Amino acid sequence: MTALFLLASFLGDVWSFTQENFDELRAGVQRTLTISAIAMAGASVIGLTLGAARAYRIPVVSQVAAVYVEVIRNTPILVQIFMLYFALPEVGIRLEAFTVAWLAVTIWGGAFNTENFRAGFEAVPARYREAGSALGFKGFATFLNIILPIGGRIALPSSINTYISVVKNTSLMYVIAYPEITTVIFGIQALTLETAEAFTVLALTYLIIVWSLSAVIRLLESHLALPETPR
Amino acid sequence: MMSIFPDWIGPVARYMLEVGIANTLKLSAIALVGSSLIGITRGTLLTIRFLPLRADIPAYIEIWRGLPILVTLFIVFFMLPAVSPSLRFDALTAGAIGLILWGSAQVAETTRGAVQSIPREQHEAASALGFGWVGRHSFVIMPQALRRLLPPLVGLLVNIIQNTTIVQVIGAPELLETAERQAERLTFEGDQHAIEIYGAVMAIFFLISFPLTRLAAYLEKRLT
Repeated sequence: MTALFLLASFLGDVWSFTQENFDELRAGVQRTLTISAIAMAGASVIGLTLGAARAYRIPVVSQVAAVYVEVIRNTPILVQIFMLYFALPEVGIRLEAFTVAWLAVTIWGGAFNTENFRAGFEAVPARYREAGSALGFKGFATFLNIILPIGGRIALPSSINTYISVVKNTSLMYVIAYPEITTVIFGIQALTLETAEAFTVLALTYLIIVWSLSAVIRLLESHLALPETPR
Repeated sequence: MMSIFPDWIGPVARYMLEVGIANTLKLSAIALVGSSLIGITRGTLLTIRFLPLRADIPAYIEIWRGLPILVTLFIVFFMLPAVSPSLRFDALTAGAIGLILWGSAQVAETTRGAVQSIPREQHEAASALGFGWVGRHSFVIMPQALRRLLPPLVGLLVNIIQNTTIVQVIGAPELLETAERQAERLTFEGDQHAIEIYGAVMAIFFLISFPLTRLAAYLEKRLT
């Protein structure tokens, strides 16, 4: 009974915390979603282009892409953020926090997506490509009409995980004080000392974003699933 | 030997090696062992059809996989002591707890998939030979599931090693934190070397991670 009362009163505190700081929280969530959206779009473009270059083994581009992928995937994203924001000014490159915020997750997501799409494109069975040539498709037309739609779908589950990680990684922009939701809530609790309420709201915010994103994407996935794929 | 390198490198390298890398490796090892033990147990329990035993596990997996590790870390390091003073941890311990919560959720999810991928017939054959649930799982199912689990576990190790840097945010002296302290000390003394120092941190992580990702890819090919 007491536990239930405590829980109810805590939820009340969480609710009033949300209401009192609503404008700041909304601005923070908006910034989180903005840099996530930019990064997802950027990572898709990078992944599609470099993934295709890797799968088709286009000379020079393919090797450069391989180095990019391995360097980014094998070093922590937090160190990459430090490099962009704290080290680059030493050689005269000063980037704003917002620029670093979207750029860091774009570079990171792009590297993972290159690998996702490369694997997807390479997994398209040769018989489909042959069927394409039999129908008279030339090189780029085969890619556009056969490799991209089929390989893209094969790559979908792994690229979904990359997009979700991109959203979660935007929380690291706390270290460069870019006011996305983590930075905003950390700032509020430092002032008001409502630590438990603040971090509960922060956790719920991310869970809502991540869970609804994965729900939407699973829906998309089942819509786009290849008829042949066993489910 | 010393004359080849500029003077500032000596103390920086010594601090990063003796304190930074030591703590990073220690934290990675603790997080790997903790995540594997808790994750494999929870993931196996999740495959039991008897509901009460596994009721909380899906929530555990969804929550700790869904939260950014930084947020989990803030919860462990700042929120728990505010709830109860007995839950106050130093930065390294809080870091280990945060990494284990996230890592064990990942392992649990992978284990569930690996255990469920073992064909029904294996369970039935083991039962026919007189194995009980515990015997069946420890002697028949697990040895086969572990083969499928090994590549993702190596992949997890790479992620754990890289994610130890997040503990820098709460000031635990792992590699990135020691690098930042040295870079700031040098800047304060009017000598800027952030690019070299953070570049070295990237190189160290690359040298550790690259062979491991290769190993994970190789195991993936060999064992599945």
